[in-house]
Amino acid sequence: MARRLTAAALTLLSLLTFTACTDGDAQQQPTGTDPSPRIVVASGQDVTGKNGIRQQLIDAWNAKEGEHGYRARLVELPGSADQQRSQLLGALQSGSAEYDVVNLDVTWIPEFADAGLIRSLSDTAVKDPEDLIKSVDSTSYWDGKRYAVPFNSDAGLLYYRKDHLVKASASRTDLGEDVSWDELRELLGPLDDAGIKDYEAIWTTQLAPYEGRTVNAIEAFASAVPGFRITDDDGQYVATEEQLTAGVSELRERTASPYTLDGTSEFREAESLSAFAEGRTTFLRHWPYVYPTLHETFGDSLGVARLPGKSVLGGQNLAVTSSTSEQRAAKAAELIAFLTDPDSERCLLRAGFAATRTSAYQQPGTAPECGHAPAYAEGPSASPGGESTARLAPDRMADGTSYSRDILLPALSEAVHRPRTPLYGAVTHTITTELDALYGPPKGPGGSRPGDAEVAKSLDEALKEILPG
Amino acid sequence: MSRFDPRGEVNRALLVGVSEYDHTAPDPQGVTGQLPAVRHNRRTLEDALHRGNVFGAHEVRALASPTPDEFTGALRRACQDARGLLLLYFAGHAVTSTSGNELHLQLRTARVLTGDGLPGSVSFSEVLGELVESRAQQVVVILDCCYAGNAAEIWHRFDDPKRKKHKVLLLMSVQPNRCILGGDADAPTPFTRELVHVLDEGGEVWLSELYAAVKQRMAEAKYKAEDDDSQRPQALAPPWDPDTDVLLAAGPVIDHPDPRVGLPQRMLHRARKALERLGRTGLAMLLALLATGAGGYGVLVLTGDSGPCAPALELRLLTDPDLEQAMRAAADAYVASDANTTKNGCRRSGVTVYSAGAASVVTALGKRTDAWQQPRDDDNPQRDIGPQPDVWIPGTGADVRRVVAAQEDRFFARLYPDTGPFAYSPVVLAVPEGLDDAVKPTGQSLSQLVTGLEQAPGEAEVHRPDPEFADAALLATTGLYRGGADASGAEQHLTRSGRPEPSAARLLCTLPDADAVDDRSAALVPEFLLRSGVGCHPATRAPRSAVYPDDVPGLEPTFVRVRWEDGERDADARDAEVDRFRSWLTGDEGRGVLGEQGFRSAHGERRLLAAKSAPEGLIDEVRPAGSADPAEMDEALERYGNAHGPGRVLFLLDSSGSMAGLWDGPSGGPGILKQTLTGLGGEDEYGVWAVHGLKGRTHTDLLGFGTHARREAEQALDAARVRDAEADPSAALRDALAFMRERGADDERPQLIVYLTDGEDDNRLTGDALERVIDRARTAGVPMTMVTLKNGACDRDRPGTRIAEAGRGRCLDAGDDLVPALRDEVARTGTGEE
Repeated sequence: MARRLTAAALTLLSLLTFTACTDGDAQQQPTGTDPSPRIVVASGQDVTGKNGIRQQLIDAWNAKEGEHGYRARLVELPGSADQQRSQLLGALQSGSAEYDVVNLDVTWIPEFADAGLIRSLSDTAVKDPEDLIKSVDSTSYWDGKRYAVPFNSDAGLLYYRKDHLVKASASRTDLGEDVSWDELRELLGPLDDAGIKDYEAIWTTQLAPYEGRTVNAIEAFASAVPGFRITDDDGQYVATEEQLTAGVSELRERTASPYTLDGTSEFREAESLSAFAEGRTTFLRHWPYVYPTLHETFGDSLGVARLPGKSVLGGQNLAVTSSTSEQRAAKAAELIAFLTDPDSERCLLRAGFAATRTSAYQQPGTAPECGHAPAYAEGPSASPGGESTARLAPDRMADGTSYSRDILLPALSEAVHRPRTPLYGAVTHTITTELDALYGPPKGPGGSRPGDAEVAKSLDEALKEILPG
Repeated sequence: MSRFDPRGEVNRALLVGVSEYDHTAPDPQGVTGQLPAVRHNRRTLEDALHRGNVFGAHEVRALASPTPDEFTGALRRACQDARGLLLLYFAGHAVTSTSGNELHLQLRTARVLTGDGLPGSVSFSEVLGELVESRAQQVVVILDCCYAGNAAEIWHRFDDPKRKKHKVLLLMSVQPNRCILGGDADAPTPFTRELVHVLDEGGEVWLSELYAAVKQRMAEAKYKAEDDDSQRPQALAPPWDPDTDVLLAAGPVIDHPDPRVGLPQRMLHRARKALERLGRTGLAMLLALLATGAGGYGVLVLTGDSGPCAPALELRLLTDPDLEQAMRAAADAYVASDANTTKNGCRRSGVTVYSAGAASVVTALGKRTDAWQQPRDDDNPQRDIGPQPDVWIPGTGADVRRVVAAQEDRFFARLYPDTGPFAYSPVVLAVPEGLDDAVKPTGQSLSQLVTGLEQAPGEAEVHRPDPEFADAALLATTGLYRGGADASGAEQHLTRSGRPEPSAARLLCTLPDADAVDDRSAALVPEFLLRSGVGCHPATRAPRSAVYPDDVPGLEPTFVRVRWEDGERDADARDAEVDRFRSWLTGDEGRGVLGEQGFRSAHGERRLLAAKSAPEGLIDEVRPAGSADPAEMDEALERYGNAHGPGRVLFLLDSSGSMAGLWDGPSGGPGILKQTLTGLGGEDEYGVWAVHGLKGRTHTDLLGFGTHARREAEQALDAARVRDAEADPSAALRDALAFMRERGADDERPQLIVYLTDGEDDNRLTGDALERVIDRARTAGVPMTMVTLKNGACDRDRPGTRIAEAGRGRCLDAGDDLVPALRDEVARTGTGEE
C-alpha cells in the first residue's frame, strides 16, 4: 500500500521515542522517600522462620552501594506459593506492579522464561559458577540459557527418632545412606511391640492434594524407574505408561497402611512436622529447614539421613524481569551476583537454608564464616549475654558425620527435578488430582480403589493431554 | 449503548475493496501498485458475513474497486437504509495528509499531485460525517489500509456536540503512522485473513472478542508492518465494557482446517520427526525455509520451545471468605473447560482464587491501591491481602459502592462491575433439629427469630462469624441492628465465646468441636453452605434446617473487573480472557457449578439452580429481603466495632539476645508488631513491653500503655533494640495478665495480650512456671495470642499451645501465615483506623 506523502510521522516518531525515554527508570516514588534509584526485589514471605537473613543480605548490598547508589528494596508477597506465583505472573504479564528482581520457585523458571517475563542472564549475574552445585544450578536454565541464579536450595531428607529405634531394639540406630524402604518396613513389628508412648506408625510425609503430593510422587517414581523423567529438556512428554505403573506401585507401597500414619493423606508440611514432633511416628520425610527446630526438640535422639531412593530438589532462584530497563537490569544482575556469592551462601547456610554452593559446605563441624550478615557472623561479639545470636543446630552429629557435608550436600547433588516445563502448573495439578485415586475418598464399589495400572493409565492419558510430545 | 445483538434488525454491510487502480507506478501521480490480495479480501469477507447469520442475504454489498462517486453513493444509501447495524469495510491504498491529521482512502481513480492535491480519494472525516448521520443504531468501521490506526485520532477530534459519533466503533488493521505491505496475490491481506478466520469460527462473535482474537493471532503470526515493526491491529475504544459490545457473526460451529497453521503445522510435525537429530537449530532453519515457501505467513508461531501452546494468561480472582470454596470449584471447572481451550488444545488462561477479609478488601480498594501497586515497608497489601486482583467477586454489589464512596482522589485500580449479581444465596439462621419448632421458617425478622430461640427450652445459642471478615455476617448484622436497635444490646443476644470465626465455613466447622454446643447452636450463615458442605466433620455435624429472616439481604456475588493503572501491557488480551471467564461463569456451565455449590438464581423466584425441588431443610422459593445498602453496611460495621467499645492490647516483645537474628525488617519481631497497628484506632489503648532480664524487672516499657497516634507507636518500635540478656517469659506473662485484668475490671471492652518470641527461653516456661501462667490465663478473662517465630511451637503440649488454649487465644508459629493471622487478632480487638 502507498507510502505516505510526507515525513509528518517522522516528527511523531521522534516524539514517541522521546516519551519512551522519560519513563523506564523514572518510576513514580511515594513522597517523602529517598530519591535513590530503586531495585525492587519481590519474594514470598518466608515461612521458615529465617526472615531476617534475606533482608540482611539486601541491607549489606545497600551499604556497599553507599548513600548515592542504588537501593534494593524487598517487597514481600503472600506466604502461599500459589498466590506468589499468581501475583508474579499476573503483574509481570500485565504491568500491574513493577518488579526488577523476582525470587522464583525452581519449578517456575521454565514458565517465566518461556513467557518472556524474565531475562536471560550473562556471567555478570553469577560469581564463580563452577562453585554452584551442578544439579542445583541446572534449575536456572531453560532452552540452553541461564535465566536465574540459585539463591537457596532444598531437598527431601529423612528425619528419625533414635530413641524409638533403641526401644525397638533395631539392629542399628544410626542410619547411613544405605537405608532402604524395606528396612523401614521391617521395623513395623518391633516398633509396635516396643510400647513407645504416643507412637502410632512408622512414618509420615505430605500427601494432601497440593505440591507436597507431587513431590512425594516424583520421589517414588524416580526411585522406581532409573532415569525417570516426565518431560525432556524441551518440555516434551517422554514418560510411558509402564514407567508410571512402576512409579504408582512404588508410591502406593511406601505410603500404605499400616506403615504410614493415618491422616497423612491430608498432611501438608506443618501437619507432618507436628505429628513427628508429637512422637506419633519414628520417621518423617521433610525439608532441611526443620532440622534446627527438631534438633532443639529432640536433641541427640534426633537422627537425619538422606531419603532412601531419590529425593526431589526444591529451592528458589533469583531472576531479572524483562520489563525492567536495561540500566536497572544491569544493576539487578550485580545485586543477584552479590546475594548469591559464596559469602551470602555461607550466611544462608548458617541461617538454616540449604546453600547452593559447594564451597559453603567445605568446613565440616564448624560454622562457615559469614561476612554479609552481622547477626549470623561467627563469634560472641553480637551477644555476650550467653545466648547464641542465631539458632544453629550442631553440624557434627553424634556418630561424627557432618550434617551439612555428609547428608545435605550429597542429597542436593543427587536430587532429581520435578518436570521442567512451562506447563508445570498444569502438570502438578494433574498429578495431584489423578492421585486422588490413591489418597482421595475411595470411589470404587465398596470403597475399593483402582489398581496401579489403572491409575497409571489415567495419569498417562491426562499428562498426554496437557503436554506436547 | 448496551450489548447490541442486531439479528432481526435491518442491517447493512458495505464492503469496499479497491484492488484495481487506474494510475499506478511508474506513473509519478499513481499509487505504488495494484492490490490483488484485496480481491480475496472482498470475497472471503462477504462469504464470512453471509455465513455469520447476522446480515441477511441482501444486506451485504461488496463494491469492487469503486470510483469516489460510486463509493459515496453506496455509502449514503447504506446509511439511509440501515436501522440496526451498519458495517463499513475498506481495503485499499491510503495516505495521510502533511499534518498527519487526516486519512485519505484512495479509490479507483486515485492520483497524488504535488502539494495537497489528492483527486480520487475520500477523506475519513467525510466518511465519518456521513456515518454519524446514519439511522443505524450501531456502526462498525473496519479499515485494512496503510495508517488505518490514524482513524482513531480523527474520531476523537471529530466535532460532535450531540455525541452521535459514539455509536461508531473502529477496528483498524495497523497502529497509527504505519504503512503495511500489500500481501500475497493468492490470499487475503494478513489482517483480513485473520478477521475472516475468527468470524468464521462459528458461534457468537462479538466485536470485543473479534478484536482480541485477531490481535492475538496477528501477534502469534508475527506479521510485519513497514520498518520491520510488528503489525498490531487497533480498536476504538478498548478496553471493552462487556455491556457495550456488538454481535458481528453467529454462524454454525464448523470444523474447518485452519488456513494459517493447518498445513504448516502438519508439515512441522513431520519435519520435527525427521529432524529431531538436528536439534533446535536445524528445526529453526527448516522453519525459516518453510516460512519463505509459504509466503511469509504464520509458521513462526510454531517455533516456540514447548510446542504450540503459548503461556496461559494468569487471572487473579479475589473473593469473600465465604465464597472462596465455591469460586475455586468454578474456576477449576472453567480452566479445564472447552471455553478456556484453544483449537490446539492449549489453555487460554489460568485462574487463581484467594480470599481476604471483606472489610479490609473494601478499604484497600478504596484507599490503599497506591500501596497495593507499590508496597511500602509499613503498608503492603500485596503481602497482607494478596495478589492485585484482575477479578473481584464480593459477597454483594453494595461492596463496590462502598469502595467508590471511600475512594480518594488518586486511585490506581478501577472497578468495572456487572450491573447485577450472577447468583443468590439468602443469609439464614441454620437451626439444629429440636430447636426448629421454636421459630417459623419464614416471615419473621432476625430479631424476632433470635428472641424466639432465646425463649425456647434449653440453652439455645446464636453464633455469627466476624462481620469484619465475611459479608454474610455483616448483612446479618445489618438486620440485627435494624430499626435503631442499640448495637450493644443487639450483640448481647449473640454468643460470644472468645473471638468470632472469620467465615461461616469455619464457624460450621468449629461448632461440632463440642457436641453439646453443636446440638443447641443456631448459626447465621449463607444458605448455600448447608447444601455444599464445608469439608470438615461431615458425619458429626448436627443436622440443621434453614430459617429465612425477612430483613436480611442475601449474598449476591457480583462479577467485578479490576483494571490497574499501567497494567496495560496485555490489556486487550486480559480483558478478552476476563470476559470469556465471565461469560462462562454467568452462562449455563457456570450456573451448573454454582448450582452444585447450592446457589440460587439471581433473579425471579430465586430457585435453587441445581434442584427441581428444595432438599430437606430448605425451601423452594425465596422472597429476597431487598438488596444490601452500602451505607447501612458501613454503619453496621462501625457500630459493631464500637459495640464493645475501644479495645486494649498489650504487646510483649521478647528482646533477649537470641532475637538478634529475628529483629530487622518487616519480618523481624518489631516489624511484625508494626504491621498489626493498622487494626488499632485512636481510641484503642495499647502498649508494648520489651521482655528481658531474669532478676528484678523482667520487662521494660517500649511504649507506655494508653492511646497513641500510629506514628508514635511505629517510632517506638523502630527504636526497639535487642538486649544483651536472657528473658523470663513466665514472670513477664503473669505481670501482663495481672496488668490487663486490673484494667478490664470495670468494663466489657475487648482485650488482648500478644507475646512474640523466638522460643529460645521456653526452657523457663516449663513445670511450675508454666502451670502458674496457665492458671492465671484461665481466670484472667484476657485472650492471649502466643506468637513464636519458629516452626513447631504450636504443636500439642508446647507452652505456647497450652497458654493460648487456657487464655482462649491463638497460638501462631512460623508454620502459620503468621502476620495476617496476628493482624486479624489485633484488628478484632481494636476499633481500627479511621
